[in-house]
Formats: sequence, C-alpha cells, structure tokens
Amino acid sequence: MVVHILGKAIRGKYRINYGLTKTFYGIGLETATKLCSKLGFYPDMRMHQLTEQQTMSITKELSEMTIDSKLLNQVRENIRMKREIGSYVGIRHSMGLPVRGQRTKTNAKTARKLNRIERKM
Amino acid sequence: MRASLVSLGRSSWKGPFVVPLPIAQAKKDGTPIRTNARSCTILPQFVGLKFQIHNGRDYVQVQITENMVGSKLGEFAHTRKRWSYTQTKNK
Repeated sequence: MVVHILGKAIRGKYRINYGLTKTFYGIGLETATKLCSKLGFYPDMRMHQLTEQQTMSITKELSEMTIDSKLLNQVRENIRMKREIGSYVGIRHSMGLPVRGQRTKTNAKTARKLNRIERKM
Repeated sequence: MRASLVSLGRSSWKGPFVVPLPIAQAKKDGTPIRTNARSCTILPQFVGLKFQIHNGRDYVQVQITENMVGSKLGEFAHTRKRWSYTQTKNK
C-alpha cells in the first residue's frame, strides 16, 4: 500500500511520523511527532491506516510550513546573498570549501561535494 | 540579518561588540574610515559608509550595504590570497 501526500508516495507500512520524516526535507522526527500528536494520531499508527480526511488534515498542516523546495530555495537565497555582499562565507561557498574553519589539507569531502552557490542537498 | 545569528551567539545584555569609530565625521564629509578593528560588528548606522579594513597587509575598501548589517567588518576583507601557479623558468 502506498499513501500519497502532497504528490509524494509514502510506503504504507511506515509509522506516520517516520514516513513524513523520510519524505519531506525540513521535517525531522521531532516535528513529525509533534504534528501527529497535534492531529491526534496514536504513536504507533501506520500510514495505510489513515482515512481520507486525516490525509487531508496532514496536507493542510504541511502546506503551511516551509519545507522541501520552499526551504531549499530559502537556503540557496541566503547563500547567494552572502556571495553578493562579498563576505567570507559566500566566497568559501563559491570555492566549494568548508566555511567554518575546518582543515582543507585533507578531507573536506562534504564541502567539496555540497558547497556551491546553488547548494546541493 | 539572520535572527538566529543574533539569538544564538552573544548574550543580549552585552549588546553588539563595537569599537569607537569616527562615524559622525565620515557621514559629514564621506571620507572612508580606516580601521584595524576587524571584529567590530556592523551596525545599521554604518550603512552607506566606506570602510578601509585591514587584512594584515593593506587596507581593503568596502562600501557597507544593508545586507551586511550584523556581520563583522573582517568578513569583507579577505586575509588569504588565492594560490595560482606562476610560470618562471629562471629565478
């Protein structure tokens, strides 16, 4: 069984909080658990047990949050702003190097992979 | 200015770290402020002024804009030169 929320497929056997965490960028386990208790789902409830109306209520809550592409755009915009004003943080991002004073003689793998103006996630 | 930068960092009762600078004079005649205080926080009053910030070797001219408020002066005067290969056959 697959449940669709905001156009994304979530496996039915997942717990609700875990499913939301896995699917959406910007929702961790804590936020998801809070959301579940707010909507009155019991902790061990699974995705496939949701009724139509409950799915709608989750969708409604999620659409008010800044998650996924909206959040990603926000992060990228902040980095671009740093680059435009010419700050150290912006320059390190554009060079693809660590920003917070880590070593660069070796390692710095994550920064080389992710740090761009258009940051990858 | 990011809210979290302010709230997570320094205790609020201290206020921002600021060094006395000749701002009033610079506002009047538009002369750049030459300073070595890289750790001085940029205040909203600094917007539009020109600073010459020390980077260890010389003074880098920077015009302060609105987005820079809340960061330090030193962030805009880079201390390291980018390494580039220079081809010289005989020294």
